Amino acid sequence: MREVRDQLRDRRTLFMITILPVLLYPMLGLGLVEMMLTFSEQHRTVVILNASELPGDPSFLADGEIDARWLESGKDRTPVSVITDQAESHSSPLAHSSGDDPTPHGLLEQAEILAFHVRNAIATRAAAGTVSNSAEIGRQANNDLISLFNESGIDVLVLVPDGYSDAVASVRQQIRNGAAEPAATQSPSGLIVVRNSADDKSVVAFSIVQSALRSWESNLRRSMFDEASLPEALQHPARLQWVEVAGGEQVAANVWSKLFPAMLVIMTLTGAFYPAIDLGAGEKERGTMETLLISPARRVELVLGKFCTIMLFSVCSALMNLASMAITGHQMASSMGGGLTDTISLQFPPASAIIWVVISLLPLAALFSALCLALATFARSTKEGQNYLTPLLMVIMGLTMFCLWPSVEIAPLYSVLPVLNVALLLKGLLLTSTQSGSLMAYAIPVLVSSFGYSLLAIWWAIELYNNETVLFREAEKFDLRTWLKQLARPKDAVPAFPEAVFCFVGLLVLQLVAITWLRPDLSGTEEQRALSMLKLICVQQLVTIACPAVFMGIILTTSPRATFRLRRPSSGALLSAAGLAVAVHPLSIELSRFLAENGVFPDIPDAIARVHRLMSSETQPLWVLIAVFALTPAICEELAFRGFILSGLARGGRLAVAIVISSVMFGVIHMIPQQVFNATLVGLLIGLVAIHSRSLFPVILFHFITNTLALLHSRNMFPLPKGMLFGRDESEQLQYHSPVLIVCSVIVVIACRVMIRDLMRQQEARRRGDLKPYVDKNTVSVST
Amino acid sequence: MIQVHGLTREFQDFSGGVIRALDEVTFDVRPGEIFGLLGPNGAGKTTCLRILSTILKPTRGIAEVAGLNVMRDPEGVRRRIGFMSGNTGIYDRMTAREMVEYFGRLYGIHEDRLQERIEEIFDILQMHEIGDRLGGKMSTGMKQKVSIARTIVHDPPVIIFDEPTSGLDVLVARKVLEAVEVLRDQGKCIIYSTHIMSEVDKLCKRIAIIHRGRILASGHRDELVSTHRQPNVEELFFDLIRKFDSQQQAETESASSV
Repeated sequence: MREVRDQLRDRRTLFMITILPVLLYPMLGLGLVEMMLTFSEQHRTVVILNASELPGDPSFLADGEIDARWLESGKDRTPVSVITDQAESHSSPLAHSSGDDPTPHGLLEQAEILAFHVRNAIATRAAAGTVSNSAEIGRQANNDLISLFNESGIDVLVLVPDGYSDAVASVRQQIRNGAAEPAATQSPSGLIVVRNSADDKSVVAFSIVQSALRSWESNLRRSMFDEASLPEALQHPARLQWVEVAGGEQVAANVWSKLFPAMLVIMTLTGAFYPAIDLGAGEKERGTMETLLISPARRVELVLGKFCTIMLFSVCSALMNLASMAITGHQMASSMGGGLTDTISLQFPPASAIIWVVISLLPLAALFSALCLALATFARSTKEGQNYLTPLLMVIMGLTMFCLWPSVEIAPLYSVLPVLNVALLLKGLLLTSTQSGSLMAYAIPVLVSSFGYSLLAIWWAIELYNNETVLFREAEKFDLRTWLKQLARPKDAVPAFPEAVFCFVGLLVLQLVAITWLRPDLSGTEEQRALSMLKLICVQQLVTIACPAVFMGIILTTSPRATFRLRRPSSGALLSAAGLAVAVHPLSIELSRFLAENGVFPDIPDAIARVHRLMSSETQPLWVLIAVFALTPAICEELAFRGFILSGLARGGRLAVAIVISSVMFGVIHMIPQQVFNATLVGLLIGLVAIHSRSLFPVILFHFITNTLALLHSRNMFPLPKGMLFGRDESEQLQYHSPVLIVCSVIVVIACRVMIRDLMRQQEARRRGDLKPYVDKNTVSVST
Repeated sequence: MIQVHGLTREFQDFSGGVIRALDEVTFDVRPGEIFGLLGPNGAGKTTCLRILSTILKPTRGIAEVAGLNVMRDPEGVRRRIGFMSGNTGIYDRMTAREMVEYFGRLYGIHEDRLQERIEEIFDILQMHEIGDRLGGKMSTGMKQKVSIARTIVHDPPVIIFDEPTSGLDVLVARKVLEAVEVLRDQGKCIIYSTHIMSEVDKLCKRIAIIHRGRILASGHRDELVSTHRQPNVEELFFDLIRKFDSQQQAETESASSV
């Protein structure tokens, strides 16, 4: 409550949230209308030279302007002023050319010069076929032409050749006489229309002139057809008909469905942005944070209070923005009159869609509020807070842009991705507001996962509030040089947290680079191709995963042995790791089959599909495949992920968090959604095994066996009988039935419980160990 | 009332080293007295008091406030102390009354009792005329008054003042000292940290001199002065710090020569 009042007294926030949208959109709208008016009032200058040579029936010009018959939207609405050299024949020649052009005579003169150049240019172009090195001259002439054209103030120039009218008339005459090939007798050079497509004004004018000329031409053609007594149907041999199915409401829905989700996402974020900075970093800056902390309220209560305030503001701001935007749009549309509303009607979306907007707004606002609060708490000052939150804004903007892509629609995978899911669901709902039944199926995972994400973010914020180093971060200077020095100098036995994260980012970048650079050689026979692909996979594993990790391990730590967990494992550990791997295999196979059948993931990209085919291909000996797909990844990936990265992440003593993060990283590096999911789950298990056995070897064994079994499974190498336990699917792949799955899950669950209990014990021991003096007294007195 | 034994707090330095801000600090404070915590800037005073107010956690050692351990029952401890320091600001966009009310509610004081209590405090501190003024529009002295009112709104048995007069002009500082004395006479247990000697002379019977995280001397003020054969607290303070620094330098040199 206090927080809300406090924020309400903050004029800046108030302005951002209420005044800004309420005033901004109408102002923007007005400005737009104003601009369009002034824009359309600007006349385009079209110069027609030799206009008297235009055929008289039907006449293209009337009273020195383009005849209203040929203009789509009537004379009044077409901002074109025509200047012709017919001036002499008219009594008041320049009366209707716009007053802004005081020198139509000057224009005409320039037009004459231009016409000369244009004719020249056409002539050179025609001659270019025979003269060899005329390309250069042509370009030179063209450049002159462009500058001339730009300077002339003419937007479109129409050149009527001499004797054009006579030519047309004679063609007509011949038609009347029934000549077989009228064009052959005399071919009058056609109308030349000069324009500059690089200039918008010229483009606008050209489109008007073009459509006018076309309708004039078709009229001319019709009359010629009549005279030649050809059936009129011949003019439209294809008989095209355009049918518009969407009514006004659906068109409106289309507009809204694109605009609403994007605006909603951005508005929710900006609404959360300022209160969050004020309540997080601002309190620190003004020194009221400590005042709050010494009150008996628990940290959780403080965080929730702030969170609710931010969320309230975020929701209000988003709703007010949208309402104001909608009203402005509506007003604008009606004030603009019929022309616009026919093409894009800006009607309100139906009420059910509005309700959906509000419903999906809540988790979105919760997520953003918690994220902003956490980031703002981490910051030391409001300025720093803005620095942190701006990248967040950028990322969210990127996601929204992705949603605006017309072909992106909600899919099972997207429905669990943060931010994207809500935006896409909204898009879908607004688009098909009348028959949203199939989309409702997505609503539940979207809402559940969104709330899950917001809970995670709140949890993070609370964690930050419980972390005194975050709350009392004094303004320590961040100097890149000392930071690098620190990275290099005091080498510890195992890597530090940032080093582990850095390692992961490095691996990711290398992977991306590898995708573009390491392309398999696709020439040769299938066998050669397969071989080159296999080699490539090995190289990629070694170069982009194992080497960086090992390199960093040797450079950055004093004990690569400890970092990579190179301890001799007990045979029991090896055995149980192997057993666990065997038990996990059916589960993972059936899980991915289940997910694939339910279409959770998009289709596999081509390149990966090739690798999959390779895995089950018969051309390579089995041991090669096992070496490439099981042994190499097992060693390389484990060195990196369970070696360097897990050791680094786990240094703080938070083993569980370390395992989760490392397995997510492990998943991400696999890139393809199917593998990401599977790898993350397996990564959790492997992480547990690594912590439990304190050695890398059981982990490598586990990984090796999992991959080998998957490989054998895809090659159908298990001669197991069909029956209660096993089955075959359509492509004769081995299927595991529920008894096997149940037994396996029981084994895995028991193993996990044992390992998690051990993990908790280790974690507890680590924490207690932290309380012991870290460095002996001598070093302290020196360092202080 | 307050008991501190072997309190140690270490910080991770930015460059990876460990800084010991508090080193085996031990002292106790009784009800009805003002205990002076005397030390130069960066001596560890604020760290020590933050641990007592449960904002920071000690690395080692025991700290008890009103019989409650700061580690085991932080909420209970916070309920029983009033804490005021240069870092505890007030909200710019709240009036004095709202500010005190808000914190009264945070401490869970019943609404009727709260209004009574606010009247009482506003009487004592003579701050009725600034009751409806926004924090951002107050002078430093007014702000300090609001801060004190905020500190004692829940009538805590233990009050911690961390350099409450730093940055104040003489007149305001005097008012603050007077308020502290009134509180002592009410029987509160008060810790008063400062580096201004005259305040110590005026307020404190018992003191502890803290430097580089260590208590160099603690006990009755006059006794300390006489045992160290110094004319006053100020001389005592500088003498102790000089001796400690030279001793430490010698240690470092011998350590590096070995």
